[in-house]
Amino acid sequence: MARPEMARGGGAAAGALFRIGAGIVGLMIALAAVGPWIVPYDPYTATEVVSQPPPPLLQWPGLLIDTLFRGAPAPHWFGTDASGLDVFSRTIVAARTDLVIALAANALSFGIGVTLGVVAGYYRNFATEALMRLSDLLQSFPVFITAMILVALAGRSWGNIILALTLLYAPIYLRLTRAEVLTLRERGFIEAARAAGVPDWSIALRHVLPNALRPALVQSSVTVGFAILLTAGLSFVGAGVRPPTPEWGLMIATGAGQIVLGDWWPSLFPGIAVSLTVFGFAALGHALERRHAG
Amino acid sequence: MIGRFVVRRIGVAIVQLAVLAVAVFFLIRLLPADPVARFVGLNATPEAYAAAKANLGLDRPLTEQFAAFLGLAGDGRVPGLLQGGLGVSWVSGAPVAAEVAAYLPVTLELIGLAFLVAILVGVPVGAWGALKPGGAADKGTLVYGLFAGSQPEFTWGIVFIFVFFVGLGIAPGPLGRLSPLTEPPDAITGAMTVDALLAGRPDLFLEALHYLMLPVLTLAFVLSGPIIKMVRENTGAALLSEHVLYARAAGLPARVVARDALRAAFAPSMTLIGVLFGFMLGGAVLVESMFSLGGLGQYAIRSILAFDYPAIQGVVLVISAISLAVYLILDVAHAMLDPRVTL
Repeated sequence: MARPEMARGGGAAAGALFRIGAGIVGLMIALAAVGPWIVPYDPYTATEVVSQPPPPLLQWPGLLIDTLFRGAPAPHWFGTDASGLDVFSRTIVAARTDLVIALAANALSFGIGVTLGVVAGYYRNFATEALMRLSDLLQSFPVFITAMILVALAGRSWGNIILALTLLYAPIYLRLTRAEVLTLRERGFIEAARAAGVPDWSIALRHVLPNALRPALVQSSVTVGFAILLTAGLSFVGAGVRPPTPEWGLMIATGAGQIVLGDWWPSLFPGIAVSLTVFGFAALGHALERRHAG
Repeated sequence: MIGRFVVRRIGVAIVQLAVLAVAVFFLIRLLPADPVARFVGLNATPEAYAAAKANLGLDRPLTEQFAAFLGLAGDGRVPGLLQGGLGVSWVSGAPVAAEVAAYLPVTLELIGLAFLVAILVGVPVGAWGALKPGGAADKGTLVYGLFAGSQPEFTWGIVFIFVFFVGLGIAPGPLGRLSPLTEPPDAITGAMTVDALLAGRPDLFLEALHYLMLPVLTLAFVLSGPIIKMVRENTGAALLSEHVLYARAAGLPARVVARDALRAAFAPSMTLIGVLFGFMLGGAVLVESMFSLGGLGQYAIRSILAFDYPAIQGVVLVISAISLAVYLILDVAHAMLDPRVTL
């Protein structure tokens, strides 16, 4: 019987969320890919003008025409920060920093977690039991503080942030995949393959793995969003990438000192960028979850 | 029955904490960091370096350091973990346990108030969204829950500071827990609002609340997302359950039915509150540093950036112990509401 709650929040709302989420995610990935080549100013080089507010919104169309067709120098669309860096260029280029770290951490934790999850679900012995306890232990650490410890002590580099996030997120994929494999291994087609004499490794690789991927894939979008939050949060407290790397959390932290003086632009624009991006990934994740729940 | 469940559950929590204590000790020392260089600087002479290393106790073998951490060895001046001590901070020279005890109430006050606000707003809004599936309220609460739940504390903290302090001028600046000109009340509990009340100073109580306004708003906003999402989903499921269907069929007024459904939605929601509590401790780190509240989160940032190993261990252990205690209380409460859990 089709239960009415399955339809709740589905249908039109899920479709709209999917389009919004996919649109934002697509835009951010595109910016991460081409950002450094389309921005008007070098994100690392300070300009002469310091703490200049962005031009009023009404002047934007005129300025855009001037820049594109009349060869005028590009305005500082989002203003400049206290050291004269162009906020617009840095906000765009920062998409690459945050997305590369988050996507790489997600890919690594996905690969490790799913592989170990298939093994732990398929072979249930002392070693896989120990693996599950290790994953329990990792998950009982407070996430943000542990990430700070790992990155600050291992060295504040992109690679170390990716590794720290991988360590924190792999147990999620491990658990999801293992649970899926545990239900799959009792299913008829697996039993049939076993009865037909297909070797264990081949069953695991060709029959279990493709079918056990779904929960992990659905989780991916949510994990990338959280990874971006964590990356920006780490930089915000001084335990992430080093200045002057263009990175959203770092830019917000740098501009935070000026906000009480009324200079809102150096931190607000990167703030909007993080907000929008993580909402995009969350909306996409939610829509995918709904789509695959039925 | 419930007694045995509680004892077993406490036993498990103690084992978890013990494993965590061992893990955090070795994890920190596995990482390629050089705390000695951090303390003496890069230009230190080899003699100064060696002296600092001996001073921190890092010249001893790892097993000896671990024994001292546990309180099994050492000179007895510093109580170890088994005596309830967390060692001595390398930066301040003060016992970590005392420092944590001074900073923790600030964080608990912040999180407690944020939870209170988020629940007071989130439960009615989430239940309201669940009343008419597919309606505008349902869609609105879904999108709001999803949005707020994904948002970074640092962006919204800055937006709120700009709007309410710089723009409207109705909130104090992000400069701490009281105006710098105000004489704080005697620290009894460490939570400013409670101390002000204990000192019989309602004016200070209001001032402390005023200073907590934006930090609490920031945390409560982020927290309201998952709470609304959870209440909406659980109430929606409860509204479709058979006993609510029966109550409706029996012609009970909508208010009574809604109350029943909320109660049924409560038990499954409790597990998530435990998860959210741990999640909030992370959020508190960002909010405290943004508003200079001087809580455990800021202490954690300072200790981690200074490579102060005893303080780092202490913070991780205390936070984990609190999380485990919250899970424990929720599990026991859940078992009391739903006796099937103990089976």
